[in-house]
Amino acid sequence: MIQGLKNKTTSRRNFLRSAGLTSTALFLGMYLPAGAKTSKVVNLGDDVDEDGIEMNPWVIIDTNGRVTLVSHRAEMGQGVYQSIPQIIAEELEVNLKDVHIKFAQGNGKKYGSQITGGSSTIRGSYKNLLKLSATARVMLIQAAANKWKVPLTECYAEAGNVFHKPSGKKYNYGELVTDASKLHVPDNVKLKERSEYKLIGKPLLRKDAALKTNGTAGFGLDKRVPGMLFACVERNPRLRGKVKSFDDSDARAIPGVKDVFKVTMKVFNTDREGVAVVATSTWAALQGRKALKVFWDDSGFEHINSTDIYQRHEDILKNKDGLVFKEQGDVNSIFSQASDKLDVIYQTPYESHAAMEPLNCVAYYQNDKIEIWGPIQAPDWVQDFISKEFNLPAEKVIVNMTFLGGGFGRKAFLDYPHEATLISKQIGVPVQVVWTREDDIMQGPFRPGMSYRCEGVVNNGKIDAFRMKLAGQNMDNFQSDDRSKPNESSSEGFLKPYFDSIKNISIQDVPFETPVPVMWWRSVYASTNGFAYESFMDELALAAGADPIEFRKQHLNNDRLHKQLDKLIEVSGWKNRKKNEGYGMAITECFESPVAQVVKVSKNPDGGIKVDHVWAVMDCGWYVNPDIIKAQVEGSIIMALGAATIHEITFKDGLPEQHNFYDYHMPRITDIPPIDVFVMDNDADAGGVGEPGLPAFSPALTNAIFDLTGKRIRKLPFSLAEI
Amino acid sequence: MKQPSEIKSPNILSVKKVLVISLMLCCIVIIASAFKQKINSPGIAIAVNIANDDSATSAQAFLQVYSVLMSPRCMNCHPAGNRPLQGDDNHIHTMNVQRGKDGKGLYALKCSNCHQAENTAGLHTPPGNPKWQLPPADMKMVFQGKSAHDLALQIMDYNRNGHKNKEQLLEHARDTLVKAGWNMGGDRTPPPLAYDDFVKAWDTWINNGGYAPPAK
Amino acid sequence: MITLNVNNKNYEVDVDPNMPLLWAIRDVIGLTGTKYGCGVAQCGACTVHLDSEAVRSCVTRVSRAEGQKITTIEGLSENNDHPLQIAWNELSVPQCGYCHSGQLMSAAVLLRENPNPTDEDIDDAMAGNICRCGTYLRIRKAIHLAANMQKNGNTKG
Repeated sequence: MIQGLKNKTTSRRNFLRSAGLTSTALFLGMYLPAGAKTSKVVNLGDDVDEDGIEMNPWVIIDTNGRVTLVSHRAEMGQGVYQSIPQIIAEELEVNLKDVHIKFAQGNGKKYGSQITGGSSTIRGSYKNLLKLSATARVMLIQAAANKWKVPLTECYAEAGNVFHKPSGKKYNYGELVTDASKLHVPDNVKLKERSEYKLIGKPLLRKDAALKTNGTAGFGLDKRVPGMLFACVERNPRLRGKVKSFDDSDARAIPGVKDVFKVTMKVFNTDREGVAVVATSTWAALQGRKALKVFWDDSGFEHINSTDIYQRHEDILKNKDGLVFKEQGDVNSIFSQASDKLDVIYQTPYESHAAMEPLNCVAYYQNDKIEIWGPIQAPDWVQDFISKEFNLPAEKVIVNMTFLGGGFGRKAFLDYPHEATLISKQIGVPVQVVWTREDDIMQGPFRPGMSYRCEGVVNNGKIDAFRMKLAGQNMDNFQSDDRSKPNESSSEGFLKPYFDSIKNISIQDVPFETPVPVMWWRSVYASTNGFAYESFMDELALAAGADPIEFRKQHLNNDRLHKQLDKLIEVSGWKNRKKNEGYGMAITECFESPVAQVVKVSKNPDGGIKVDHVWAVMDCGWYVNPDIIKAQVEGSIIMALGAATIHEITFKDGLPEQHNFYDYHMPRITDIPPIDVFVMDNDADAGGVGEPGLPAFSPALTNAIFDLTGKRIRKLPFSLAEI
Repeated sequence: MKQPSEIKSPNILSVKKVLVISLMLCCIVIIASAFKQKINSPGIAIAVNIANDDSATSAQAFLQVYSVLMSPRCMNCHPAGNRPLQGDDNHIHTMNVQRGKDGKGLYALKCSNCHQAENTAGLHTPPGNPKWQLPPADMKMVFQGKSAHDLALQIMDYNRNGHKNKEQLLEHARDTLVKAGWNMGGDRTPPPLAYDDFVKAWDTWINNGGYAPPAK
Repeated sequence: MITLNVNNKNYEVDVDPNMPLLWAIRDVIGLTGTKYGCGVAQCGACTVHLDSEAVRSCVTRVSRAEGQKITTIEGLSENNDHPLQIAWNELSVPQCGYCHSGQLMSAAVLLRENPNPTDEDIDDAMAGNICRCGTYLRIRKAIHLAANMQKNGNTKG
């Protein structure tokens, strides 16, 4: 995008103006020189050769002392809006309230990966952000020292000012940025020790809460562009069928309906056909869609039933070997000699993401340029994809991120911006495409339903052999034709130190496909793997006659995990369990953060099971804001509670059987047990936060139910009321 | 023709008194039937005891009425507990909706916050009526779980039927909220009797003495 | 033309009287704080006050709202200082934030009718509002906090 000084200067000025900043500024960014391992801070006011470099977050300080961070990641509830300013304010030595966030546009070349996924917002960028902010601080102090003609060591920065200690003189940052911007950017500035932090590690309040309590936070669906029309699309309900024909005469008669036409968007490597109704309001578009008659050609693909899916899983798990993901020792010979072998199947359902903000996107196709606004988790991917599909250079595709009303993985896909762009191109004006709740729940892609065959032998209180075979749709298959490789994620969620203690182990993926499109859902494979692995671990502990937590500790030879489990024992009262209380535990890891949980259950006097309490211990290493972490773990547990006990997507004759919240129920305030979250303190690198709290919940719950009732639940979802 | 007497509270009438009155006046006091029924062995119809031809017609008509009252379209708003029911399977209304003192819900979950004056279009959308509500807390008029016998007695009991006299009871079948049970939109199964047949059965039941079918 | 009074301001809207109030508020009047979540009165994201009651604007026709006082999240307070808004901020309740306009409008009716709600009262008032991020525990805490603030006169309430 930036080619040479002139263009760059212009674009910088435009940027500053659009961000509400004065046009002179200290303008620092990060870049990773081609071939280099560590990133460097660069003064974007300099004429730098940017060939082959990837720019990371930008920090801008203008002559008013206003600090702006250009966030290359989306805010979808995970708290980047608060946690990133907290990092910057710390090392830059400014007041938190003076740090403002502006969401970057999609530009993979400039920012590197922008996908808000894999719980990567902080762990993927905090080191750069610290370095960037500390570098800016050092440059500002240097500028002040130069002005005063005093030694650097006599100066220090605090709350957006540089002070000269002996004289008490001060400059605020705004007065220094012009000079600082002319300085050489120092390498390797010293970062603060954790013990010196004043902001990082503190449970500070979220900056975006104000916007989210008075209606001013702008979500995708709130985006308005002059001349914008609204569209709804009747897409094939079996997801893979074609439009045979359609009758739009009644639809066009609805007041406000402007046009009706066929639209075909890409969903990974498949085409999704539908008929778009474009109108002057969402309501008119919805009415038009209702009046539309579409005739579908649903031939050429299987119309799947859920019962068949799980039956087939069981058949192939029993009768077929899988592609080997991990194999060590000799599982087969131990199994063949063992007198007591556990051999069970665990199953988990398909799920919709069902973020509260249904999918939507505004696109404006102009002949030489496309602009997109929406709740988008991966703006750089959208830019790349749209530029290829519409044959425009990447810099002519502008992708703007709004606040996301939840994402959970779904808003990282490219289909809905693609469809919006196609519709805008057809009608020639900006269009907001609104997905109804039904579209959002029924159109996928879904979290795939999985089945796991777990086999194990215990000897002398230890796991002698362990085999896990999974059958379920591989999310990668929708983006790749390669069917020779096992699912790389088949052990996601499972703690790696188990591989050291279990000498004989085999993890296999038995390939299975259906026409149902599948994709990431919060915590991805760990969200289902965790249930199988950690429920089975409980069964093995029982077979070994061991306490479930002690059994884990025996098999996890790792100090950090032991500390985490000891913390869990302490906070949950694990050792003081009373009669008529069921306690279950589980520990899983995803995105570099292990999370251990204990769930306590009891019998409900009115029948069924009551979840009394949940304790979670999160170890995400270095962290910014413990309150945001707790909120993320609370939310993850509640999302897991829903998927374990309340909702699932099933298919009949190729059609999803759930439609809206009346048959795809969500947990409500009445369903929520008390949850206590504890965050471990250690010096490990930062791990993920947004997703790792999810996978351990469902096995901890079903393990607790087993503890109370002796009933082992191996299929999700199940009804708490019906146990 | 016998004229059912004014419905009175059973509490103020002893069983004996009621029997005497009913015999003396040769007139069926509905509430008395209840008490007579109670002191007779179960399974014997009141009509037979009182030797009244119309009692069989009346009780028979109530069985038809009963099939309607027990249908989800009526029973869902006459629950045994304090939460309305939903759907053809009479599951407890989602969202923890409560009866409230006046039967109109509580706080942010008042009936009319979702249930409009008319049905909302579409499947699984809230059916509507300007009077949409449950019976109030001090007059719950429970249908759920009631036998035909018990329900007939309840409806004929001035102190348990919302203080309705005969005329008001007859009128109740014509109430727009009752009538709405036959037009609740979506794919909701209507009551098993056509509305006009329900009114006919209701009138027959009441006009012939408002007898309760035998307890089982 | 239908006149709608939203947050004490009159708007003349030229719409089908059967249009749900939600779309009139969002697409015609242009106040986007009120959210579309389900369209069938299941999730509560669209909750607004109609003559002080927390109605679901996605199933409430414009014709019902005519001549009544409509309050949306933008009109809950002048300066984001309703006790509930303050409590929501002090406990960092929102995550994605999308459902919280509706949550607040529901909670406001609870607090008005019951200044000292118990946990059970909160269940009775708030189970109609879905939060997919799972902020329910904080919603409960924040309602208690707001009730205390209101009681102690910490805010103008």
